[in-house]
Amino acid sequence: MSTEVFENLRLELRRGFLILAVMAQLQQEHYGYTLRKALADCGLAVDEGTLYPLLRRLETQGLLTSEWREENKRNKRFYRLSPEGETILRQLLEEWRGIDESLSRILRKENEHGTD
Amino acid sequence: MELIDRYLNAVRFWLPRAQEDDIIAELGEDLHSQIEERETALGRALNEDELAEILKQRGHPMSVAGRYLPQRYLIGPALYPAYMVVLRLVILWILLPILILIAAPIAIATAADPTLASIKALWDTAMGCVFALGVITLVFAIIERHPIRELENWDPRKLPKIPARPLKSLSDPKPVERAQAIVEMACSVVFAAFFLHFIWFRNSFELGDAHIVLAPIWRTVLWPMLLIGLSGLPVGWISLAFRANTRLRSGMRIAVDVVTLGVVGVLGTAGTLITFTVRHLPADQMAEATKWTDVGVRIAVAAIALGVLVDLVQEGVRYVRARRSA
Repeated sequence: MSTEVFENLRLELRRGFLILAVMAQLQQEHYGYTLRKALADCGLAVDEGTLYPLLRRLETQGLLTSEWREENKRNKRFYRLSPEGETILRQLLEEWRGIDESLSRILRKENEHGTD
Repeated sequence: MELIDRYLNAVRFWLPRAQEDDIIAELGEDLHSQIEERETALGRALNEDELAEILKQRGHPMSVAGRYLPQRYLIGPALYPAYMVVLRLVILWILLPILILIAAPIAIATAADPTLASIKALWDTAMGCVFALGVITLVFAIIERHPIRELENWDPRKLPKIPARPLKSLSDPKPVERAQAIVEMACSVVFAAFFLHFIWFRNSFELGDAHIVLAPIWRTVLWPMLLIGLSGLPVGWISLAFRANTRLRSGMRIAVDVVTLGVVGVLGTAGTLITFTVRHLPADQMAEATKWTDVGVRIAVAAIALGVLVDLVQEGVRYVRARRSA
């Protein structure tokens, strides 16, 4: 039961950060497979069933641009952060840092109370 | 690679036509990249079992395609609890008791072949429940897509005042719960559908081997009965839109109760309410069955009258208290 609760909360927590990670990674151009590998290499493994629909959603929202190009004799779709996406990424990162600092302060306070 | 093509084709089946080529091309590319990487690592081509394993990890074609579709639901989480309450109320507390305790025993008792009649009664019960489920789901799906504007444009200053003394009984001028109002509206629609289907357009129907004919008196109370049934819609709406105004709601309920008592009075003082004939039943048994059925209907009418009287008293007290507290 507690494993299931943890797993659900973990997925919920990851969902928001995944968008941030994908957008950050797409400051450089990638196609789906290399993007997945790049994220996995940074410790954020994501399955294709989650990644591709997310890429589509971000593109529909105008945060990514994409184009089909041939590479190694195969057609691949390359994604990159759009100018609007860059602005949103900056704002999101700022927000995330704010949340991170708040959480750190809360945890610090809790630790201080704990040692009192 | 035939397996891959079959897999992609199966995914394509569930995708929206406008996007299917694009999604399949990208999914195919991703699969080929993964396979190519595995083959490079192993130094040989993958066999069918290994390919099947990769596809299995990707997931069933329908669930893979489903991730590309927007999340859709017929009845959202906000309305779902009310939907379940209405379903339980209509199916478990109204429909099943009527079908199992009244309609099915009559059909089985009067049938030439009780086994066949039992199976038919069971089938009719199931179909009745499915019909009710369909109507209720449809009503809630419509409400889901056309949310009541009042629920969005609400004003906290119009919330009901807290009464000076604690609320103890139903007769206090306490606003009706939102779920109760929705239940009221849904029941009203279900009743109207049931009433129009079974009574409005005909005065006789078959139940097993029995041919049931409604007495002419029913034709004279059709309009009042339909209006009573549909009154749940405006009363429910008033409960939602003017939540604080318990006096308006109680006033309407009192009016509906008075009309209902009038209809019940007309039916109660009329002669025979229903007559029925059963093909194979001897005349003496037929007379006995008719007599007891009429008694049963009269008891039901009396029970309704009693229920309406209780409601009338409660709403009357609620109306007076609401008037005092205003």
